[in-house]
Formats: sequence, C-alpha cells, structure tokens
Amino acid sequence: MGKISAPKSNREFIEACVKSGDAVRIKQEVDWDNEAGAIVRRVCELGEAAPFMENIKDYPGFSYFGAPLSTYRRMAIALGMDPASTLPQIGAEYLKRTNSEPIAPVVIDKRDAPCKENILLGDDVDLCKLPVPLVHDGDGGRYVGTWHGVITKHPVRGDVNWGMYRQMMWDGRTMSGAVFPFSDLGKTLTDYYLPRGEGCPFATAIGLSPLAAMAACAPSPIPEPELCGMLSGEAVRLVKCETNDLEVPADAEIIIEGVILPDYKVEEGPFGEYTGYRTSPRDFRVTFRVDAITYRNNATMTISNMGVPQDEGQLLRSFSLGLELEKLLKSQGIPVTGVYMHPRSTHHMMIVGVKPTYAGIAMQIAQLAFGSKLGPWFHMVMVVDDQTDIFNWDEVYHAFCTRCNPERGIHVFKNTTGTALYPHATPHDRKYSIGSQVLFDCLWPVDWDKTNDVPTLVSFKNVYPKNIQERVLNSWADYGFRGAKK
Amino acid sequence: MANKWEVFVMDLGELAEGKELELTIRTLNDGLHKYTYQRAKVEVSSKLDQFPDSLQVRLGRGQLSDRKFSIRVIERVERMPARYL
Ligand SMILES: Cc1cc2nc3c(=O)[nH]c(=O)nc-3n(C[C@H](O)[C@H](O)[C@H](O)COP(=O)(O)O)c2cc1C
Repeated sequence: MGKISAPKSNREFIEACVKSGDAVRIKQEVDWDNEAGAIVRRVCELGEAAPFMENIKDYPGFSYFGAPLSTYRRMAIALGMDPASTLPQIGAEYLKRTNSEPIAPVVIDKRDAPCKENILLGDDVDLCKLPVPLVHDGDGGRYVGTWHGVITKHPVRGDVNWGMYRQMMWDGRTMSGAVFPFSDLGKTLTDYYLPRGEGCPFATAIGLSPLAAMAACAPSPIPEPELCGMLSGEAVRLVKCETNDLEVPADAEIIIEGVILPDYKVEEGPFGEYTGYRTSPRDFRVTFRVDAITYRNNATMTISNMGVPQDEGQLLRSFSLGLELEKLLKSQGIPVTGVYMHPRSTHHMMIVGVKPTYAGIAMQIAQLAFGSKLGPWFHMVMVVDDQTDIFNWDEVYHAFCTRCNPERGIHVFKNTTGTALYPHATPHDRKYSIGSQVLFDCLWPVDWDKTNDVPTLVSFKNVYPKNIQERVLNSWADYGFRGAKK
Repeated sequence: MANKWEVFVMDLGELAEGKELELTIRTLNDGLHKYTYQRAKVEVSSKLDQFPDSLQVRLGRGQLSDRKFSIRVIERVERMPARYL
C-alpha cells in the first residue's frame, strides 16, 4: 500500500479543510447557547463548509469545529485523498485500508502528549469549564459528546472499545448517555460490570483525529485503535489516563476520565437525533461520574448536530454500515456488486446490488444483514440486480417500483432488534429495542424464463444497437441539443 | 435576584400545586452553569407572583409549554449514593 498522508489530529484536519475551502474560520463571537448549534445545523442542511468557530462566548481560548465529516469532500480529506474523489473511490479506499494488516497503537510518555497540557483533578473538576454547547433548543441538556469516542476496556477479554455514544452534561461532574444494549459498551456493562455492581472506568476523547472518530463510529469488528491505524497508515499515539488504566489518543483536544456507575442513573435527553427527530424520550440512562479533565491549550471542541439530512452521523454511518455489510456478504461468497446506503435515508435503507445467480439470494442477503451486528441500525434492505446502478437513486427507485412484487417481493421480519430512536416504532418497542425489518426483493425471479417472462428494460442504453447509440451520442450537439435542464 | 428554572415533564399533571414535590430542575440563570441539573424539594404555583423564582416547562420531546409557574426551592436533594460523591 502506498504511503498515506492523512491528517493525524483534529488540528491538521481543520488546517487541510480551511486550505481546500471546506472549512471557514469564524472570528466573531459565537454563543455556546444555541447559536453554535444553529450554525452547524444550517451548515449540514446546506452542505456548506465546516465552521471553525474561534471565539466562544464565556470561554476564551476555546474553539468549536462543527460538522467535521458531513460531506464526502471532508471525508476524502480525512482519508488523505483528493477532496474531489467520488464516493465509489472513497469506498474502495476504505475497503482496501480496512482489509490491510492491523497496525497496533503506540503508548507515549505523558510529557509528549498534547492532551495533558492542562489537567483538572479533585475539586477543580467541573464540566462547565469546558464550552459544552446547547446543540438544539429544547434538548435535555448541553451535550459534551456529540463527535467523540468513549473509551472502555473489557476487564476479562481485555479488548478496548472506542464508541461514539452521546453524552449529556447533567451537572459539573455527571454525564448521562444513550448506550444501546446491543453496542459493544452496552454488552460489556451487562456482561460484566452491572451484575457485579462494579464501576466501569471510561475516558471520553473529544476533538479526535477524523480517522479516530471514523473508527469510533464504524461498526467494524476490528478493535478501534488498530482500525484507526489501518485507516491512517500509521500507529495511533496513545497516552495513559490520570485516574485509571485506560489509554487515550494523545493528540485529542479534550479527555474526560471517570467511572460508569453500575447502580445509579440520572435523566438523559431528549436530544435531536440522526433520524431527523427527537424520538427517544427523556429517561434514566447510563451515568458517568467524572474524576478528571485534561485538555490541550486552546482546545477545540468538535460538534456534530444531528437532525434532518445531512450530518456526519448519517453520512459516515451510511458509508461504514454499507461497506461493512459488503465485506460480510463477500465473506460468505455472495456475488454482490456493491452495497450503498443513501445518507438521506438516515441510514435506514441498505441497497444491495447482486448478480441473481440462484433462488432466494435476496432473502439470504437480508437474513445476513438483519442477523449481523449491523442489523439493529437499519430496517430496510432493498436488493437490485447487477444491471442497476446502486448509487443512482432514479434507477433504484425505478427498479423498486416496477420489480418488487407486493406479494412475493416484500418480506417482513418480526421481533428483531431495533433502536430506541426509530421514529416509526411504537413507544413500547423503542423502550425495549424491539424492531421489525423488511426486505424489498427487486430481482426478477430466477424461475422466470429470461427470454419470454422477464420484461425488457426500455432505456437508451439497453434497447438500441451500439452503433446507433454512438451515432446519436456523437451527433447530439449537432442535432441542436445544449444539455438538459434538470 | 430571582432565579429561573426549567423542568421536563411528560404531563403537566406532574406539577401539582399546593404540596411539596420532588423534581429534577435545571437552572436557566445565565453563566457557565446554565442548564445544569439538581434534584430538589419544591413548591410550584400557577400564580406567577406566589414565589420569587420562575419555572418554565418543557414536555417530553423538548417542546416549550406555554404554561408558566412560580417556584420555591425548599432544599436540594442528593440522590447520588454518598460513595460516588
Ligand atoms: C454522531 C453519532 C452519535 C451516536 N450516538 C450513539 C449513542 O448515543 N448510542 C449508541 O449506542 N450509538 C451511538 N452511535 C452509533 C455508534 O457510534 C456506533 O454503533 C459505533 O459503531 C459504536 O458501536 P459498537 O459499540 O457497537 O462498536 C452514534 C454514532 C454517531 C455517528
């Protein structure tokens, strides 16, 4: 693999984005109370440059970087690619890097770790010393963690987990968050800490390098420190925490250390979510007690503002859920031509292209997809043939509306795993993560005669002889056409 | 100076008047601690001049209610077990 030159920290990433015109520096004062959130929301809805807000009301010295990965251009920059790279190119690079050899992290000395430039311990610990934003008006609280990694370790197996689980500031020393029971951290808590009544050490890292953040929210089975190394082509630098044995990315902007309480919960939410709604109600959720805060000089807090498309939650999760499913299906020898989730589906619909070589292939795909670790995050799988361009919604929609037979093509899966965030689920189902899912099989049945039963697609590409197509294409401008107005 | 508070409820019936309630309230006073929570014993009244502090209400999904109250914070309640304090 050629040398990768990806930004190694949030700072390098901001610099690269400013240089390419994919971030703007905002020098005027911005209020942490709603204004910063409103800026980030509008940026997401317009697909604008990421805002680097350098002057935060009440918090001199701190800054915000909003919507870090809400465009494919910024995703390409994060991977050290040309910002103009296409989605299939970015996807191919992700697959190449995540199929390479794992790169183990290195632990460095505290003196070399930028995240230790300021250390707050004991009575000095107060989350209100950080510019924690009120992201959306009406949220249940100021959210410390919207674009970050919660770092924990399974005490027996020893595996390290970096996961992006939202965290709300309850008071200066307490946070609460939505950790789903089927997530890695959720399983570690129910498997080990909760039955024993033991506190689970955690560290929240904010202002990660973009690839560390990408690793933290990727549904990959590879441990995130190694995954981050594979994505960036070099070992990630870690440093030991002040108050527990966890190791955190040394170049992160802010680290919050503490313990997840096994037997005490405070309220969390509501919060604007990636589905484009506030769906999950306020509830008593996983509670984090804070023991230490460390941060870089002039620390930058990263903000993701989830809501209607498109924010990085939708963009990045669609991207990595789709590619991880592609890997899974290929590992089972299924002749998939690609997997794509449109971010505007708020990562709810998986579109799979496949060569329909045997009966039941769409069902096999859906069973694997819904039955995998990825499954709770989407409830629709649409399977189209290899002639349909999965990235072209016009083609996919046409296939869906014309080939999916209402009786034989739609298969509902009941009593599966869902999330508390599904807007379409009943309040009861949300509370218990009960899901239901659906397959839209848009393949021609294999037992239809290819010549006499399968309809012919009537398109320029499909029905005209090559020589006529070429003649028409070459003469297009001569006929007087000037390009269609969409 | 009078304090401003906010509470989240699923139903306005949770804010019964004329008796002591225990609520999770957050401060809306300007400053670094705005929006932080505490548990407290309180009394609320729909008569806005009954108590010195004001209480704003939000519903389950963050919708601002147009019902306003005055509030008296009687005392703070610490729910968190002492071993974690
Ligand atoms: C911005 C953002 C916020 C997220 N918030 C949560 C959350 O609050 N709870 C959760 O369980 N997953 C959340 N996720 C999804 C997880 O980050 C994702 O599932 C990740 O792979 C960690 O999952 P794992 O623990 O299963 O590996 C969020 C993702 C993003 C991009």
